[in-house]
Formats: sequence, structure tokens, C-alpha cells
Amino acid sequence: MVTFMDDIITVKNLVEVYSDGTKAIDDITFSVQEGEFFGFLGPNGAGKSTTIKILTTLLRKTSGDVTIAGYNVAKQSAAIRKIIGVQSQETTVDGDLTGRENIELVGHFHQMKTDEIKKRVEALLSLVGLESAADKRARNYSGGMKKRLDLATALVHKPKMLFLDEPTTGLDPQSRSAIWSYLEKLNKEEGITIFLTTQYLEEADKLCKRLSIIDIGKIVASGSPAELKREIGADSIRISLENCKNDNSKAKELIKTLNDVTEIVDSEECLTVYAKNAGLLIADIVRALDSTGIRIASVTFSSPSLDDVFLKHTGKRIRTEELVKAPSAMFGGRR
Amino acid sequence: MTLLSDTRYIFIRYMKKLVRTPILLFFSLFQPILFLALFTQLLTRLGNIPGILPSGVSYLEFAAAGILMQNAFGSALQSGNSIVADIDSGFLHKMLVTPVSRSAILLGRLTSDAFRVVVQTAIILALAYILGAAAGTPFTVTTGVIGILLIFFTLAFFGLAWSGISLALGMKTRSSETVFAIGGVITFPLLFLSSALFPISFLPSWVQTVSKFNPVSYAVDATRVLMINGYDWGTILPAWGVIGLVALITLSVTLYQFRKVVS
Repeated sequence: MVTFMDDIITVKNLVEVYSDGTKAIDDITFSVQEGEFFGFLGPNGAGKSTTIKILTTLLRKTSGDVTIAGYNVAKQSAAIRKIIGVQSQETTVDGDLTGRENIELVGHFHQMKTDEIKKRVEALLSLVGLESAADKRARNYSGGMKKRLDLATALVHKPKMLFLDEPTTGLDPQSRSAIWSYLEKLNKEEGITIFLTTQYLEEADKLCKRLSIIDIGKIVASGSPAELKREIGADSIRISLENCKNDNSKAKELIKTLNDVTEIVDSEECLTVYAKNAGLLIADIVRALDSTGIRIASVTFSSPSLDDVFLKHTGKRIRTEELVKAPSAMFGGRR
Repeated sequence: MTLLSDTRYIFIRYMKKLVRTPILLFFSLFQPILFLALFTQLLTRLGNIPGILPSGVSYLEFAAAGILMQNAFGSALQSGNSIVADIDSGFLHKMLVTPVSRSAILLGRLTSDAFRVVVQTAIILALAYILGAAAGTPFTVTTGVIGILLIFFTLAFFGLAWSGISLALGMKTRSSETVFAIGGVITFPLLFLSSALFPISFLPSWVQTVSKFNPVSYAVDATRVLMINGYDWGTILPAWGVIGLVALITLSVTLYQFRKVVS
């Protein structure tokens, strides 16, 4: 790794207030280094898309300073548009045009020469595996093919910087992992800086070298996935009680006194306990609660995940029903 | 120049979309063709009553100009629709994150609208010719090829002015249903309260008064004289002036709305 790297994105005290008074972005500051794979992880409505719209010159910021590759987003938007590629959350391919025509059109928007576009289109079609469907109308593509085509159109002008707003939302697992492998390839082999937003923990965990967790317009935590998980410092035990309302505080008091407990937070199940050696602790917890007559409905154990990081910082779980397969097992049993 | 080349690529995109979705073309042609076939058949006898139509002019010849105008209305109405579709699908944003000329986005749309009006006008003129021949009341354009080109120009110009309204409505409401509803509500009174389908002397006096302030009357009259009378510049030039004025207003509103959408 090169030791000196420049920041390609700098965001200082960014605020976005909508005309109806909603504070969509509430004073965020972060930076992304050139060549980095950086992510924003957060639930729907956290402010991810709004941030991308500001960074890609689509939305005017209310206040704060934003630069992309040294260009000021408020004053030098034209220069920024030349070097960025953007894939928005909606899949924006023109269904009446063929896959090839979709890519060519965006190439023309970037004032590329026709023969240059032709060469680039071939390379991109093979990158995203759409050679055989290239001359079919995009209307007939599957959801995954459309996303791949959309990605190809964002890459036609060899952007320095790629913005992806939830690039795999709504895709089946195969399409998702296909997109992941293209993105890793682009970042590693071509050195393209990637800024990605996602509501999938697994996606952020797999792809991002560094990420910020964003919730209700604020960055609540930043770091590499490993660092963030290490910060939790512990496995988690999710406890659900038969009568959570009544027993919640009493149970907390009891568990607090046990050894190795790092933290206890309220969660959807009822309580989540973070501890160093959770496997050993489970028996103690069950015993302690049982002896005071608190009835346990279930106990689930897992190694730290970004979900726990999210929970720790926001007090809630991120909603990703379709993707999250919690690496958990009832009553201990490490994977 | 990027404005011209960008306009060209956007124009080509809309043309491809149009050609590949022939159903759209069919629907916007359906009503004018229905009017052409039904109306001119139903009202053929109008020509037999002396003093209503100019002598020697069939109702087909008379109404053709009005039906062409109706066609321009219908075609332009779909313009607002297309911008709503581009906003909804996110394609407009996709264009806006590239260095593409902002003006070209609008110009590409407007030129494709104008071109489409010309194509549809040609189709309707050809049909009128066939209908005229079949009915024994030949339909011809007195001013010949140059006259047809001037008719194309007048209708495309009128279509642009009307596209301005539908584009502005589309950008303001972001709803194609609203564009069609409001467009439809404006279209029919404008058409019927003008000289489009009936001779002005045939209409009640209040309609005659309204008709004088209706831009549609001017555009129709110019088209009609080119078909029937010849190069009556005293009718043609004022019509272009009126259309220009309407276009200036509607396209300014469109530009204003577009700036709001783009920024």
C-alpha cells in the first residue's frame, strides 16, 4: 500500500434541510481517500441517498463544505460530473433502447468519440457479462441484468470515482454476488474509488474497507468493519423474556453483577448482553434469572456483527429481512 | 459544439423510443383519423347548403386543417408525459450527473416533438387525399410542395407551443394523468371555440367573438389558406406571430420549471 493517499471526497459539517423543514442531513463530516472502498450503512430514510445526491451535484446543500477531487461541489459541478460515475437507487436504463445503446448514449453524454465508445462498450459488456443480451431491448432484461447494465453505463467514461446508491437492493443472491465481484474487481484492478450506500450489513462487511454508520441524518460510528466490531469487543447474547416489561430492569441488575459483561442494551427481543466469553456466560445468566423467578422465552448467541454495532449506536436493529441470516445458534454452539 | 451534438443524441433517443413503441403513435393518431373519417362523412352535406362553406370546397377540405391542429394537440400532450416518465424512472437524474448540456435535454425533447408532428401531419394529409379520392371530392393542397412544407412548419411550430404547456404541467405535477386530464380539458374548448371544424359564420356570435381571441383560429386559418386559397401572407404571417407569442409564453414557463427541476 502506498503510504500517502489524498482525500478524494471531503465533507465538512454538511447539513441538508428540505423545504418542509425536515433535517435530512444533520451536520456530518467525513472523508474518503483515493482508491478506497467506502460505505454508508444505514436504514431507509437515514440520509444515504440525500448525501449521494449532494455529492453527485444533483441536490444543493443547505450548508457545509463538500469537495470531490478538489473541486467544490457548489461552484465546480461541471468539472465533477466529468470524473464521476453514478448508479442511483432506481435502476435507470431506458427499456426501449438495447443494452449497447444504453451504454453508448451515456458515452455520448460524456462527449466521448464514437470509436472510443465502441471499444469501451465491448469491454464493459464483457465485464458485466451482458455480451449475448447486448442487442436486446433492456425492457426484456431481468432485474439483475438491468442493474448490471446500469453499472456499465456508469463506467463508460472511466470515472475516477464511482457512487453507488444501494446497488443490490431488491436483487436475488446470485445477482448480488455477481455485482459484488464486479465492484471488487473495479476497486482492486482499476483503482476506482467507490462510495457505496447500503442497508445490507453483509454487503458493507464484505466490500467496504471503511464505513460510516448513518442514522437519522447523523454519522453514529466510523471505521473498518473489523474495527467497528472490535469496538463491541464481545459476543452478544440476545435474551427474550416472557414478561419483558416487568422483568426488564430486574434482569439487567442481575446480569450486571456477572463477570465479563461489557454492556447491556434494550433490544427488540428484550435485552442484548455483550460479553467477552459469552458461551460460558449463558449458563450463568440462565441460572441467575431462573433463581429469581424470571422466565426466559429464548436465548440467542452470536459473534459480533455490524448489526450489533448498529444496535449499540442507534438502539435498534437495521431492517434487512431479506438478506440477514444472523450467524447465530440457540444456546451457544460457536460456528 | 456540445449543445448541438447533445441535442442530436437526445433527439435520436426519443425517435428510437417512438418507433419502438408504435402503440403510442397509433393512439395519438387514432383520434384525428377517427375525426377525419367520421366527421367528414357525417357532415359532407354541409357543403351542399349554399353560403356555409366557400364555393367548391368540400367539408373534408375545410375540416382537414382543424383535424391537423387536433393532431398537433394530441401529439404535444404526450411530451409532458415523456418528461414525467424520465423524472419518475430517474433517467433525468442519470442525464444530469453527466456533463450533458442542460439545454439539450429540453431541446432534444422539443425537436423530437416537432418532428413527430410533421410525420403525423404527413400521414393525415395522405389519408385525407385517399378519402377525398374515394368520396369523389378530391383533396389537394393548392400551394403544392412548398405549401405542404409551410403547413408542416406551421403545425410543428404550433405543436412546440403546445408542448410547452404539457412539459410545464408534467414538470410541475409529476403526473401523466394530470397532464392528460388538464390537457384534454383545455384542448377541446380551444378546438371547438375556433374556426377549426366549422366555418366561423356558422357559429353563434359569442363563439365568433371567443374565436377571434383563440390562437387556434389563427393557426387553423393559416393552414387552411395554404390548402385552399394560396399564399395569403396576410393570414399566414399574423398566424406565425400569434403562435410565436404563445410559444414564447409556454416555453418560458417550461424553462422556468425545468430550471427548478434541474437545479
